Amino acid sequence: MTINERLTTFAGLPVVDFEPGEGGEDREGGGPAEGPGQGDRAAVAWRVAENDFDESEDQASPKFLAKLEAFLAGPEASTATALVIGAWGYAAMNPAPLNEICAAASRLPALRHLFIGDMTYEECEVSWIKLGDVTPVLAAFPSLHTLRVRGGEDLEFHPVVHAELRELAFETGGLPTAIVEAVAESDLPRLRHLELWLGTDNYGGDVDADDLAPILSGARLPALTYLGLRDAEIADEVAAAVAGAPVVARLTTLDLSLGALSDVGATALLTGQPLTHLRRLDLHHHFLSEAMMARLRDELTPAGVEVDLSDRQEEEEWGRFISVAE
Amino acid sequence: MRLTVVGNPGNRRVTLFLAAVRAAGLPEPWTIPWHDVASGAPIRVGPGSLVRIDSPGEDAEVDRLLRGAPTAAEPGEIVGLAAWYRGLAAAVRRVESAAHAVGARLLSRPDDILTMFDKRACHVRLAAAGVPVPPALPPPPTYADLRATMRDVGWPSVFVKPAHGSSASGVVALATAAGRVRATTSVELVRPGRLFNSLRVREYRREDDIASIVDALAPHGLHVERWLPKAGLGGRVVDLRVVVIAGRPTHVVVRGSHAPMTNLHLGGERGDLAALRRAAGEASYGAALATCARVAACFPGCLHVGVDLMFSADWRRHRVAEVNTFGDLLPGLRDDNGRDTYGAEVDALLADRFQPTTLAGAPA
Repeated sequence: MTINERLTTFAGLPVVDFEPGEGGEDREGGGPAEGPGQGDRAAVAWRVAENDFDESEDQASPKFLAKLEAFLAGPEASTATALVIGAWGYAAMNPAPLNEICAAASRLPALRHLFIGDMTYEECEVSWIKLGDVTPVLAAFPSLHTLRVRGGEDLEFHPVVHAELRELAFETGGLPTAIVEAVAESDLPRLRHLELWLGTDNYGGDVDADDLAPILSGARLPALTYLGLRDAEIADEVAAAVAGAPVVARLTTLDLSLGALSDVGATALLTGQPLTHLRRLDLHHHFLSEAMMARLRDELTPAGVEVDLSDRQEEEEWGRFISVAE
Repeated sequence: MRLTVVGNPGNRRVTLFLAAVRAAGLPEPWTIPWHDVASGAPIRVGPGSLVRIDSPGEDAEVDRLLRGAPTAAEPGEIVGLAAWYRGLAAAVRRVESAAHAVGARLLSRPDDILTMFDKRACHVRLAAAGVPVPPALPPPPTYADLRATMRDVGWPSVFVKPAHGSSASGVVALATAAGRVRATTSVELVRPGRLFNSLRVREYRREDDIASIVDALAPHGLHVERWLPKAGLGGRVVDLRVVVIAGRPTHVVVRGSHAPMTNLHLGGERGDLAALRRAAGEASYGAALATCARVAACFPGCLHVGVDLMFSADWRRHRVAEVNTFGDLLPGLRDDNGRDTYGAEVDALLADRFQPTTLAGAPA
């Protein structure tokens, strides 16, 4: 299972591709572009992306960097509240333009929401996306509310203090323990939404349920209301750990979707601490039996919990699989 | 107006087409089993009729006869693709001769059928006509050769397709980066030299396995295109199958998949065309349909063609992935007049909107 679509919305805004002028571009079989007008610029999330084969191993492709520069030099940048960085050349070879993004902070004064790595499987599979150390991005943008990062190659994150961050997400096919540790040691007083895609060990994931304990204690996440431990091959073990986790009592949404959750994990949830205070329990993409799905609904729906049990998977002869394993 | 149908009797392609002919109040067509064509048994084309040649597929014995092989292939076995193509060529020419002898005319010109069944020749014809297609490489004799060429031209990812296959048979989506390689394919590698088509798309990440697959396919003849990322919708990669009948795109289906191959038998699903049109915008969608009409014009001897068309990831561009001569099996899909593909084809014939070419090649 794979990521097959670029983002159409981000931070509640429609995503629009930034194109620096229509002239001279390869218009192979296309129609005229339809984009927002002058007055709509602040009402969109701009995407800067250039899918291009380049062999630079120490920077994004020159074509991408030129496009990014054109965006930063134009009128959109100064009012942009949301920015999506898509393909930066060939992301399996070119590292993410983290230096350039950090250096651009003064030209993105209104930026509050940033997504790095919006690429489909066909553009670059998640675990091949070369990222690097994303920690400086938070230092460069002290007013940032949302940071979402997709990719696994060379991913680094170190403990950070950030007064304003509301949402932090790492989308990977395999999350290293070091990332979890760094998040747990960070000081994020306003963080409402934490989302970690744990993945599998085939793709660099080495998080086990015990590694999640510092996060599950909630000790350093005073404002957390959404916790997503998603896309986990070890979903059953995660569910068992969550069943006794102090942080859960404060949540409005618990998200264990996209993973390999079976009746074992669901039973752990149902026999653990009460979940009836939740507004939403998201378990979509799962391997639960019909009977277990009914049990969950029977126990939680009357209490007002919205339970997402969609996208039920059949366990094939080759075993259960997580949604993003690549 | 009377028709002759060459097909596998009992196959739903034939059943559905005969139903459309009856529904139009036309006389019952003559039918010629593919088995008779392929085995050299006598065949009778209806005098003065219009001759529809439908797919020989889904019949192991017909497949064996076309390949000229002593035994039938095992289910899904990838074997004898070039031999099959030669057999197909001989068979359609046999039908053509039999038709000529009785003043009948074909609804698909053999040259067009055979071009559509040779992906390399098809690509050349489309490109020459200015139809947008992905760039292609010369057929590589080996995996090593393919990798070297990819490095030379700067393409990290390619689609490798047997020149004479269909239905994603033997298709490999190959992605590379420094020191890494990944093949996404429905091919099942049982052991080097022994490949099967399966219903499951899977990944290979060991280079020796990938080399085994490509090296086993190469002798069948390969067509290689640059793998350019496709648009996605509803969590799936999508493409369009557009059936063009008598020059007009009439039936469109969105095929969505979690894999780079969108074929419906590999876990693909029909998608929401209205949603796709919104995502692409009417200008881009209209341009795509116009391209499909241009594709059909490249095969003027055919009443219908099935065009597989891909949008770029940003929906702004499109390219033709493939053209199918038996691409009108889209059960239940109706055009604006409520007709399925077969009904629309019969309609076009009754309205005289298609002129079969004569044996000399000129329109009748």
